[in-house]
Formats: sequence, C-alpha cells, structure tokens
Amino acid sequence: MTLSTTRPRAFRGLLAFAETELRVQLHEEAAILTSMVVQVVLLIFVSILAPSLLGVALVGAIVFSFFALGQRVLNEAAFIRVDHRLNELYLASPLAPESYFFGLSLGVMVAYLAPILLVALAAELVVHFTLVSAVTIVLSVVAVWLFSCSIGYIVSTLFRDMRAIWPWASLLYNLFGVLPPVFYPITSAPVAIRWISLFLPPSAATALINETITPANLTGLQIFLAAASLAVEAALVFLFAIYWARRSVREE
Amino acid sequence: MSPEALVADRVRKTYRVRGGAPVDALSGVSLRVGKGERVALLGRNGAGKTTFLKIASTLLAPTSGTVSVFGHEVQAEADIVRSSIAVVPQEGKPFFHLTPREQVYTYLRARGFDRASAKTRTGEALAQMELEEVADRLNITLSGGQRQRTMVATVIATEAPLLFLDEPTIGMDPFARRGVWESMRRLTRRGSTILLTTHYLDEAEALSHRLYIIERGRVLVDGSAEGLKKEVGGTLRVSIRGGQDLAETFSSFGSLVRDPEALHIITTPERLVEIMGVAVGMRLTATVGPVTLEEAFLKVVGRSIDAEN
Repeated sequence: MTLSTTRPRAFRGLLAFAETELRVQLHEEAAILTSMVVQVVLLIFVSILAPSLLGVALVGAIVFSFFALGQRVLNEAAFIRVDHRLNELYLASPLAPESYFFGLSLGVMVAYLAPILLVALAAELVVHFTLVSAVTIVLSVVAVWLFSCSIGYIVSTLFRDMRAIWPWASLLYNLFGVLPPVFYPITSAPVAIRWISLFLPPSAATALINETITPANLTGLQIFLAAASLAVEAALVFLFAIYWARRSVREE
Repeated sequence: MSPEALVADRVRKTYRVRGGAPVDALSGVSLRVGKGERVALLGRNGAGKTTFLKIASTLLAPTSGTVSVFGHEVQAEADIVRSSIAVVPQEGKPFFHLTPREQVYTYLRARGFDRASAKTRTGEALAQMELEEVADRLNITLSGGQRQRTMVATVIATEAPLLFLDEPTIGMDPFARRGVWESMRRLTRRGSTILLTTHYLDEAEALSHRLYIIERGRVLVDGSAEGLKKEVGGTLRVSIRGGQDLAETFSSFGSLVRDPEALHIITTPERLVEIMGVAVGMRLTATVGPVTLEEAFLKVVGRSIDAEN
C-alpha cells in the first residue's frame, strides 16, 4: 500500500483504459458489423442510380464512418454512466479524467476500424488515391473523429436517461453526417448550402479529400475555409472535451 | 502525513429542485476515520449515506464544509486524493461485455499497475470472491450477486489506502457476504482503511470497528456496535408481537422500543421470568433474543432501518 502525494500526470492510464474499451467493443461483433449498414445501403443506391459518383460516395462513406464513431462514444459513455454507474469506479481513481474520455474514444475507434478499412480499400480500387489524397484523407478523418467523439462525450454527460439520449444521438449524427454533401459532391448542393457545408466537419473533410481527387471544384478561398474550419473546430472541441471531462468528474 | 484517513467537518449538501423547495441531503455531517479502521455509515434509504460517500470520494461538491483524505482536501486536491482511493459505487455493474477476469485486470491496468502485478492481483481477488469458476464468462451471463462480487473484487484488488464501499454486499447470498467481510478484514490488516455504507445491521455489527448512524442528513450517534448495544440498557430483548399499545404494562421491566410490528422490552435475564409471566397471562406472543444493533438503531432513530420515509 502506497500513498501518493503528487499530482498524477495528464492522460495517465490512457492506453490501459483504451484497451478496456477495446475489449468491451470487441465482444460486440454484431454492433461492429451493423455499423456499416447506412454506408453500404447508400453505396448500393449510388452504384445503381449514379455509378459515376461511386468514388465520391466511397470517400463519403469513409468520412461518415469516422463521424459516426462519435455516436458510438456518446451511447457508450452514457450507458457506462447512466446504466452501469461505472464512471464512478473509474473517475474516483488515479485514471486521469481526460484518459477516461479519450481512452473510451480510442478503444471504440480501434474496434470499429476493420470495416472502415475495407471501405477504404474499396475506395482505393475505384479511385486510385495519390499520396496527397491519402495524406489528406488521414488528416481529415482524424480531425472529423476528434470533433465527433468530443461532441459525443460532451453530450453524453448532459443526460440522465438513456431513452432521452437515443433520439438526440440519432438526430445529431444523421443530420450532420448524411444530409450535408458527404455522400454526394459539394457542387451538387445549392450554393448557400455549399458555404455552410465548408464549416461542418464531415462535409468540409469530404470536400477537401474530393478536391485532391478531382481538382477545381472548389475555389482557393473555399479550400482555405474548409481546411481552417475543420482544423480549428476539431482542435477547439477536443480541447473543450478535455476541459469538460475534468470539470464534470465532480457533480455540483 | 495526517494521522486520520478521513476527516469530515460540518459537511452540508443541499440540492436545488426545479420548481420546488431545496432538499437538504446532508445537514452538517462531521466524522473521522482513523487509518486502518473499518467504519460503517448506517442509515435508512435516503438518509444521506451515498451523498456523503460521493463527496468524500471527490465525485460530488458539498454545499459547505470540508472533507480531507490523508490530509488532502477533496475539493482542492481531488487528483491527489483520487490516487489513494477506490470506490464500489452503489448499484454499480461491471462491464457486461467483459469477463470478471478482464474487468479486474483492466481496472488495475487503468490505475497504473504493471501487467504482471495486475495479473497476480486479479487472480487473488477473484479467488477471494470465489469467482474463479465464472472468471472467464461474460459478466452479462452472471447472476446479480456474482456481478456485485465482481465489482467488489475489482476494488479490493487495488488494496488502495482508502476504500469506499457503497452497499457492497447488496444482492449477495449469506456465504458471499461473509466472503466479502473476510476480504475487508484482510485489507485492513494489510493497512487499508474502509468506509462503507450499509443498511444491513448485521453487516455493520460484524464488520465495523465503529459506526455512525445517519438519519435525514445528520449523524445521530457514533460508537462501536457493542457500545451502542450497551447504551440500549440491557442484554436481552423480549418482543411482544402486536404489543405496541402495552407500553404502560411493560415499562417497569426495562426500556421500551416500538416498531410497527412489535413492542420490544430491553431487559436483563433476572426480569425475564416476570415478563414472560405477564405476557402469558395476557395471551400475548413473546419471543426472546439477545439485544442486537437493531434495538440500538430503533432507539436512536425511532424507527426500523427498513421503514420507508
């Protein structure tokens, strides 16, 4: 038995808690498989109705898959807290609160990575990504994922009832993940929506990736706005989630 | 280093209720827990036990008052305090999609134990809680009692300097409860301190060095179970079923405690024959037993620990 009198370092226990969450998720194979239902259905629709847009839709499927991980984080964090009350076990411990949030997000992401990589492989077969495209994809989906899991965790702390969480989670992620130009080109959206889309992380990411595949769809200003908004929003929301994770350990 | 594991000073907690009057969950609770002690907070449902435990374990802010753990104030130095504590939450459940072995092991890893030490401690804790047979089954397939034992195993495996256990044996069968008690005794022998809440009187009596009886957010009394029983005023309890209105008849035989079921006369062996004579003469049903903590609780609180508000 040892008594520690020093403040624990930030992100203490991150990988260990990510491993915990990964183990939990890997026991739920059905959830991992069904995570691709929306994407696959939309890809089938596109391949029937507009086969020329299959490449765009595949990129959209990759981005949407990372965005939808936030909904998994929201549901999992809420379930642990509301139904299991396990958050008390972990938060009243040396595990850093930010590790609880980010470890959960990492664990969920790694568990759901395999089917996303299959979609990415299919996209590569259809699109043949350049190095610039590949780097843009990686950077963009990381930003989308950080934004999405941060929002998911923050929202999860605001509810006391799982039944109240489900409709909001579904609305949040389908509204911002499917409706904007993620599965279809930004040039197909009405002009006003195009500009708004540049400020929404999933559609901004998709626009940036598509621009590396088929250049000249966006102006220089639009590319700058999409890249800047994606980076700034992801960073700000992620930093706020870390702050929120620390602050919300203790209820008022 | 503080000589006390936990010191609470006039802790108050008031919950604001939207559209209603504020609710005082704690109304100035002060208590001390020495290092290596097992202390029970005993009280009815809603007495404030869990609220206190949440404040002491850094998870809830008090409205006023202070709590310090090993000399560190839980509000200002929460992250230092968290390094020294482990909590079994009330009605907490292990991850349904982990096995008990994974639950305990990964929790220890998250607390910073290395792989080898986490593995060893996991095996020991599962053995102590007699969970070896189900150690590799998913928690979702276990009974409620087995899940609760998994929660307790998870926390005792840490051997943290201060353990908070909120109703740790709820839902367990008598054998499992005794297993948990023995584990707690072992932990305090090895230097840990335990603060537990319970509304099982036998648990508080069997396990705690000292106990605090809490009612409506206040500490009504503290002391050892033996000391509290002595204060009741006798060693035997004669319970007259349905005799709540016969206080005058029996008041000369000892102190009286009433509950919804019976009138209890706390007396000495010398007066027993007389009391039974009166009871038989009045065709009353009377049972005799040793004084337990239940009588002390009834006397202090004025109602049974199982009585609803």
